[in-house]
Amino acid sequence: MFPTPIQKAPPWVRMAYPLLLPIALIVWLLPLIGVAVTSVRPVADLAAGNYFGLPSGFAGVENYTAVFRDSPIGLYILNSFKVTVPTVIGAVALSCLSGFALAVYRFRGGTVLFFLFVAGNFIPFQILMVPVRDLTLSMGLYDTVTGLVLFHVAFQTGFCTLFMRNFIVGLPFALIEAARVEGVSEWRIFRFVVLPLMRPAIAALSVLIFTFVWNDYFWATVLVQGQQAMPVTAGLYSLNGQWVAAWHLVSAGSLVAALPPVAMFFLMQRHFIAGLTLGATKG
Amino acid sequence: MAEICLRGVRKVFGGVSVIKGVDLTIADGAFCVFVGPSGCGKSTLLRLIAGLEDINDGSLSIGGADMTRVDPSDRGVAMVFQSYALYPHMTVRDNIGFGLKMTGHPASLIEERTRNAARMLRLDPLLDRKPAQLSGGQRQRVAIGRAIVREPEVFLFDEPLSNLDAALRVQMRTELLALHQDLKATMIYVTHDQVEAMTMADTIVVLSAGCVEQIGAPLDLYHRPRNLFVAGFIGSPTMNILPVTAASADDGRVVVTLPGGVALTLRAPDVPRASFDTGMRLGIRPEHLSATGMGDATLTGRVRLTEHLGSETLIVVTLPDGAEATVKADGLAQARPGDTLAIGVNAAACHLFDRDGLAILNGDLRS
Ligand SMILES: Nc1ncnc2c1ncn2[C@@H]1O[C@H](COP(=O)(O)OP(=O)(O)O)[C@@H](O)[C@H]1O
Ligand SMILES: [Mg+2]
Repeated sequence: MFPTPIQKAPPWVRMAYPLLLPIALIVWLLPLIGVAVTSVRPVADLAAGNYFGLPSGFAGVENYTAVFRDSPIGLYILNSFKVTVPTVIGAVALSCLSGFALAVYRFRGGTVLFFLFVAGNFIPFQILMVPVRDLTLSMGLYDTVTGLVLFHVAFQTGFCTLFMRNFIVGLPFALIEAARVEGVSEWRIFRFVVLPLMRPAIAALSVLIFTFVWNDYFWATVLVQGQQAMPVTAGLYSLNGQWVAAWHLVSAGSLVAALPPVAMFFLMQRHFIAGLTLGATKG
Repeated sequence: MAEICLRGVRKVFGGVSVIKGVDLTIADGAFCVFVGPSGCGKSTLLRLIAGLEDINDGSLSIGGADMTRVDPSDRGVAMVFQSYALYPHMTVRDNIGFGLKMTGHPASLIEERTRNAARMLRLDPLLDRKPAQLSGGQRQRVAIGRAIVREPEVFLFDEPLSNLDAALRVQMRTELLALHQDLKATMIYVTHDQVEAMTMADTIVVLSAGCVEQIGAPLDLYHRPRNLFVAGFIGSPTMNILPVTAASADDGRVVVTLPGGVALTLRAPDVPRASFDTGMRLGIRPEHLSATGMGDATLTGRVRLTEHLGSETLIVVTLPDGAEATVKADGLAQARPGDTLAIGVNAAACHLFDRDGLAILNGDLRS
């Protein structure tokens, strides 16, 4: 089931490996490299149609300065944080609770509820565009950060619940039973027994949802119009001039906008610990 | 006072009846062992007492208070799980004190009880370790420590020693018994190992397929099994069961025809004559057969295999009608496979079972 370790592969594979791996990596990273190169291209290159060749000069400083000077990208990034952080906290917190309930308690309709959560993930969100827009409008949440947050939380909690429920089901149930026999209340079992063991799941899910919501473009354009609530993904578009596409600036802005999810990944990395439940059972 | 009383307790899992009406009274301060083959419902019965499963029918009381529908947290019992179920993210100290802390006991009391339990279980040097850094036996002791500090009136153990190696198991067995002497609490102990049951229990409950087969002191079960199941389950090596025909004789005696046509006369003063029949079974333990041929009757058979255990020798013999019998002989017995062996039968140690497998005569050597 697992790939054979490269040390055990036939000799020709072992020879080809160090050659092919960098090539595969470069092919895989080509789009990113393209954006990075474009972000330091002088305007003249784009005007002359030099989209993919070597840049005629290094204009990184100008381009990146222009991004911050010509557009309110700072505000956009702040908006993105205002949308993403509460969404991550809200969706993960809610799903910890709902996942715990679905994993630990057997109640009437529990299975149906769980399947509803699962089925929700299969709804293509595009078909919700018009109703959700109308809903936010009628609730007075159109064009606000709150509207976006509420919608994202609602939409992400389904997947998060599925994820958390399956993680909790995998924990040794005897831990919960042991705590119950010890007289620990259900809330405290959740808080002091289950939650600490969910750390890797919470970290993984936070990174996933952070990236997902941060990169959202669709709802940012559907639910927001003005600058004051515009997240960076949609806001970047304003870097294009009214008549000319300023791809070098859009590229530079994109790279800036891509940094927070990467930072988030490295921040959370130390929580991705395997085997947190080691030692709970058996000899 | 924590007498445990079960009345007609039943448990059904998805249409399958797992506990089929158990009546049982466990005296305060008893060390009661539930024993039975794997899957007979021992764990389920224990979990019903702990409150981890709902009782479908019947009632349960602990210390006189009805507990049938009470939450596990309010039953005042402590349970040691087969898998230990230690909280992996807490140190040994926190594991032991967790229940007390969560139920609002003062830190000084938790500290004191943890220290006492750690001393009793020799866990002092390990208090700051996490479960992952402990050996199986140490984890086992932490699980017990976690139960002790709550000072419950009832302890429930679900096969607590089955994950340990043989030497540790014997050691933990004596430690648990010492603990019982110290704490004087009611303990219920589940095992599938009849040796564990015999050595530890003051009351054994033999279970089979969700029913209680017999309740009694270890030696009572050994000497007076109520039916074929208990006869076969208690004792190692298992009791020999031979098909026989029984016919009553004068002055409270019965003449049993053994395989090979040998007649054996048993004293059965209190058994009605009508109970004797063809198609009965005679039970006799390997230790009550003699390889020297001395006894109230002599069977002859061919040795099929021998097991030399040092202190004793087990000789498996094929009898003329194809039945097999095991004889426990002394360690120096010379029998070899293929030899013909004369086996002496001690009439006073014979049990007689009717067609339904119920004992109608118990050869209790004590009386
Ligand atoms: N939660 C459950 N759901 C369905 N069947 C169960 C459950 N727990 C136990 N059983 C069944 O009940 C029977 C007795 O189980 P158990 O009490 O664990 O046996 P043991 O005597 O080995 O401890 C088994 O046949 C098992 O499959
Ligand atoms: Mg069991």
